[in-house]
Amino acid sequence: MQTSENTLPPCEFCTKDNHSNVLTERTDAIIERIGARRATIIPLLQALQAEFSYLPQEAIERIYERTEIDRAQLISVSTFYSQFRHIPLGKHLIKVCTGTACHVKGASNVYDAFIRQLNIEEGSVTTADRMFSVEKIACLGCCTLAPVVQIDEKIYGHVMPGKVDEVIIDFIENQTKKEKEELQKAQRQAAGEVRLGMGSCCMASGSADIYKELQSASAQLGIEINIKPVGCVGVCNKVPLIDVVSADGAIDRYPNVKAAEIKEILHHHFKPAGYLKRLKNNILWHIDTLHTDATWDNVVWKPEHERTGLISSFLHNQKHISTEGFGFLAPLNLDEYTAHGGFDALQKALATPRKEIVEAILKSGLRGRGGGGFPTGKKWEIVAAVQGEHKYVICNGDEGDPGAFMDRMMLESYPFRVIEGMLIAGYAVGADKGIFYIRAEYPLAVERIKKALALCRERKLVGSSIAGGSFSLEIAVFEGAGAFVCGEETALIASIEGERGFPKQRPPYPAACGLNGLPTLVNNVETLSQIAYVVKHGSEAYRSVGTEKSKGTKVFALAGKINHGGLIEVPMGITLNQIIEDIGGGVEGGRKLKAVQIGGPSGGCIPAELCGNPVDFDALIQLGAMMGSGGLVVLSEDDCMVDVARYFLNFTCDQSCGKCTFCRVGTRRMLDLLNKICSGKASLADIDLLEELAVNVKRSSLCGLGKTAPNPVLTTLKYFRHEYEEHVKGICKTGTCKDMVKYVITQDCIGCTRCAKACPVSAIPYTPYEIHTIDTEKCVLCGLCVEECSYEAVKKIGKAQKASVKP
Amino acid sequence: MQILINNRPVEALEGETLIEVARRAGSSIPSLCYAKGAKHKSSCMACAVKDCKSGQIIPSCTTLPVEGMAIDTEDAEVKLARTLSLELLLSDHRADCEAPCSMVCSSGLDVERFLGYYDAGQHREALEVLSAVFSLPEVACDACKAPCEKVCRRGSVDKSVAIRAIIKELLAVDEKAYNGEKKNEYAKDKSLYQSRLGRFTSTEKEHLQAATSSPSRCLHCACAGREKCRLRLYSTEAGIKRSRYEASSALPMKKIPIGGSLCFEPAKCIRCGLCVYNSKNGFTFTGRGFKMEIVLPEENKANISENLAKLCPTGAIYKQK
Repeated sequence: MQTSENTLPPCEFCTKDNHSNVLTERTDAIIERIGARRATIIPLLQALQAEFSYLPQEAIERIYERTEIDRAQLISVSTFYSQFRHIPLGKHLIKVCTGTACHVKGASNVYDAFIRQLNIEEGSVTTADRMFSVEKIACLGCCTLAPVVQIDEKIYGHVMPGKVDEVIIDFIENQTKKEKEELQKAQRQAAGEVRLGMGSCCMASGSADIYKELQSASAQLGIEINIKPVGCVGVCNKVPLIDVVSADGAIDRYPNVKAAEIKEILHHHFKPAGYLKRLKNNILWHIDTLHTDATWDNVVWKPEHERTGLISSFLHNQKHISTEGFGFLAPLNLDEYTAHGGFDALQKALATPRKEIVEAILKSGLRGRGGGGFPTGKKWEIVAAVQGEHKYVICNGDEGDPGAFMDRMMLESYPFRVIEGMLIAGYAVGADKGIFYIRAEYPLAVERIKKALALCRERKLVGSSIAGGSFSLEIAVFEGAGAFVCGEETALIASIEGERGFPKQRPPYPAACGLNGLPTLVNNVETLSQIAYVVKHGSEAYRSVGTEKSKGTKVFALAGKINHGGLIEVPMGITLNQIIEDIGGGVEGGRKLKAVQIGGPSGGCIPAELCGNPVDFDALIQLGAMMGSGGLVVLSEDDCMVDVARYFLNFTCDQSCGKCTFCRVGTRRMLDLLNKICSGKASLADIDLLEELAVNVKRSSLCGLGKTAPNPVLTTLKYFRHEYEEHVKGICKTGTCKDMVKYVITQDCIGCTRCAKACPVSAIPYTPYEIHTIDTEKCVLCGLCVEECSYEAVKKIGKAQKASVKP
Repeated sequence: MQILINNRPVEALEGETLIEVARRAGSSIPSLCYAKGAKHKSSCMACAVKDCKSGQIIPSCTTLPVEGMAIDTEDAEVKLARTLSLELLLSDHRADCEAPCSMVCSSGLDVERFLGYYDAGQHREALEVLSAVFSLPEVACDACKAPCEKVCRRGSVDKSVAIRAIIKELLAVDEKAYNGEKKNEYAKDKSLYQSRLGRFTSTEKEHLQAATSSPSRCLHCACAGREKCRLRLYSTEAGIKRSRYEASSALPMKKIPIGGSLCFEPAKCIRCGLCVYNSKNGFTFTGRGFKMEIVLPEENKANISENLAKLCPTGAIYKQK
C-alpha cells in the first residue's frame, strides 16, 4: 500500500499541473455513478481501475473522503483480490496462462521467455519503456490451445518459448493495422449462411481473422451471405471451424480453416450475384489454383466428412443437455433460442405450483455441479421452506479451477439457458432478486450475460411481472475480482457484501441466512443450465441418463496430453477410458497414459489402471478424487506426478484466503515439503511428515478449499508413492524437476550452431562444425536448444547421469 | 436444548456456542482466536472438537449447537488436530519467549529483566533482581565464562551487550541496596515451551541497530506478553518441544509503537483477527493466504484502544511496562 505513493509514475492522463484536479473529478464521477456505500467497494475499485488502469493513491484518498468506505476496509479488500493493482502496469499486459494444461506443456518456460525477450529487470514485471507488463494468470480457460498467452484482448495459442518474439512482433503489427483498417459491412440479399464459432477458444485460434476474411471475401467476390457468429462449438481442437449452410439448408462443416481458404470455400458453395462477376471469379479462381503452392496439398475445400472422420467420433458418445444447440445457436439471438424451445420450460414452470417444481428437481436426482455434489432439489427445498418476503438466487460463475472452462463456455454460448434456469429456480424458491457472480477474467461472459439480460428484459422475461404473471425477478451482474475461494458460497456472499472473501462456519447456511442476512440460493452455472431440461422433459427423462446416484450429464473440459481436447458433455457413468480413447482420440503423440487429473486443485490423480472406473460423484470420491467443477487433464508417461501435486498445492496455497491455520500455514508447509522433495534434498521422513499434514489439513480446514486442497497430494501418494521415493533419491524419471536434470549435447551434434544462437543465456559456446557443449551452471533449462536442434542431439538427462556417448 | 459432550448430556443455553457450553460443563478446551464477549471468526483451530455424527473436526468457538448433537472433546483426532494447529502456528511465529541471556545464566539471573530496570533508570529494582540470585555477585560473574554475553542477540547485530560490566557498574554506584537474602521470584521455568527468534536478516539488523537506543544497548528480545501468552501455555500443555517444520518465511521483527504504552510486533502475530474485528477502522488485514498480515495504518493508530492488548492471544499487542 504505502509503496505506491513513492513509486507513482508520471501520469499519462493529464499534465502535471492539474493532475490531482483531473484525478479527483474523475474519481468523483465514478463514485457518483457506482455509489458510496461499504457494500459497493468492489464495483467501485473495479471502475477506478478501468479508468486509471490501477488504483492511484489520490483516488483512494478521495474515496475515504467521499464514501462510507474507510481505510481499514479498503486495504483489506483491495489486497485480498488479485485483480486490483496499486502500481501501474505497462501499456499492454501480457498474461501468461499457468493453468494445468498450460503448466504440463511448459508455461513457466514461456513466462521466463517473455521476461528475457522483453529485457525486464529482475524483480519487475514491466519493461523500462512501460510498453509491456508480464503477469502469470491462473487460467485463461483456453486449455486446448496450451500454452496460451493473452496480450490485451488478443489470445495466442500454442506459444512455445522460442516463439515469444514472433508473438510480440505480431501483436505490435496488429496494433498498427487495427488503427488503419475500417471494415465495411455489406449484407443485403443472402445466398446462404456461414456459421462461425466465436467462443474464447475459437477466438484464440484465429476466428476473429476468419470472421474478417469472411466479410472481406464475400464483399470482394460479391457473394452475399449471412455471417453468423455462434457460441462454442465444443470441438475446441478443431477450431476455427465454420459451417456453411447453403440456400437449400444443407450443412458442410470445415474444421481448422485458415483465412487463405475462405475464398475457395465460398467459391465452392455460392455463386456471385452477377454473371460477369461470376465469370471473372471463375477465371481468377482457376488461375489462382494453378499458380499457388497451395495447389499441391490443397484439400481445403473438401467438407469435413471427407477431410477427417474425427469430429463425428469426438461428438459421438456425448449427450447435450447443458450444451443443447451447440454449433447452431447464436448466443445472443433470443428469437432463435425461443424458436428452438427456449423459455418453454419457464412458461411451463410458471403455470405449475412452486412446490411441484421443487419436487420435480428433487426427483430428478440432479446434484450441484460446482464440485460438492449436494442434491440441488434439497437446497431448493430448504430455501423455499424459509419464510421471507425477500430472497436471493445467485448464479455462481466464479469458476476458478486452472484447467476448467465449462462455466465460461456456458455463459458465453448459452446465456439464455442459464438465465432460464435461474428464473425457474427463483420462481421455485420464491426469490425476488437474482445475481450473476461472474469472475472478471471472463469479460466476454460478462458482456454476453449483460446483453442477454437486456434482451430478456425487453421481452418481459426478466424484471417485474415476468411473462405477464405475478412472478418478478430482478437480475444483476456482479463481477468477481479474482479470488478462487469465492467459489465457496459463503465467501462469494462475503465478497458481494464488500468484504474479503472469508468463508463462514456453517450452520447457519446461506439458505437460511445468506446475502445481507436474507435466505439465499446459490447454484452453479452448469447446475442452472440443466434445470430447463428437467422441467421441460420431466424428471423421469432426466433420471434415465446417468448412474444410480449421479443423474444427468456432466460437462468436462478435456485437456492436457490428449489428441483432441475440448469441451465435452457426457452422461454420468461413462468411463474415463471411454472419454480419453473414444472422445479424445487417445494420448497425444502415441504416448502411454499415466493418469488423469480430475477436478482441478480439489480433485486427484487417477492412475491409468483405474481409468475403467465410471465417472460419477461417489465413485470419484471413493478413489480419493472429486468431480470438482470438471477439469479433466490427461497426463502421459512424460509427466512427473510429484510436480503435478506441487503445481496444485502452489495454486491452492496462493489462493487460500488465510483465515484458518490449517489452510493458511498447513498448505504452505506442505508446499515447502514438496519443494524440498522436488529439489532432491528431502528424506523419506519428509514424505511421512507430508502425508500426516495432508491428512490433517483435509480433516481440519474450515472450508471446502482447505478440505480438498490435499487431494492432489494424497492421491499421488496413494498411487504413485514410488515416484516420491525416487525423488528422495534424486531421480526424476520424466526430467520435469529442474533441480534434478541437466541438458547435454550428444555426438549427434553436427556443429550447426543453431542451439548456440538460440540460447538466451549464452550457456552454449559458439563452436561451428564442432560438437557443442552446454555450461550447466549458466543453463536455465528453458529447452529452446531442444526445439531448435534438427538432429535431436540435445538431451535432458538426470543430473548425476553422464551423457550417453553414442559411437 | 440438550447435547452430548463426551457422552454426557449437557444443557445448551440460548445463543451459546459449543465452546461456551463445554467449558461451562467443565471440559477444558483451548482457544486462541476466541475471546468471550468479543467479535471473532474461527481461525486458529486450537478449539477443535469432533462432531461424533459426521466424524468431522469442527471449531467449537463458532459452531452453534443443534438438537441431538454429540461432540467429543478428547478424541485422539481432536488432540492431533489441536497439536498440529499449534505446531503450524509456531512455525510461522517469530519470537523469543525468554531472552537467551536469562535462559543460560547458571545462577538463574533474569538478565533481561535486570537490564530492563537498568534501562528505565530504576536502579534499585535492578539491584533487587540481582540480589535475588547472587550472594556475592562480583565473584559469581568473575568466575563465570559469561554465556549470557555469548548468546546475546545483540551480538549477531554488532556487539553483545556488556552485561557483566553493567552489573559491576551498578554495584559500584549503590552497594547498599544489595541484599542477598531474597528468594528468586524470576527463576525461569524451563519446562515451558520456548519459542526462538532465529537469525536476523540484514534489514532487521539495520533496523534494530537504528531503533534501539536504550542505555544498555539491550534489544529486550524477551517477549513482553509471555505471561499471558496462550500460544505458549497450550503449546506447553500439548508437550510441543519445537516445530517440526522448517520455516520458509520470516516475518520481519519490528516493534511498532501504537501510542500510549501500547506496542505491536507483527512477527508474533498468529493472524486470528481479534484486533481487526474489535477495532473500528484500526487494525486491518492485507494480502491473503500465507502472505496475509495484520497491519495498522499510521492514520488509524488514533482509533486503537488499550483493551486490544488483553484480547491478543500472544504477545503481538502488549502494553509496555
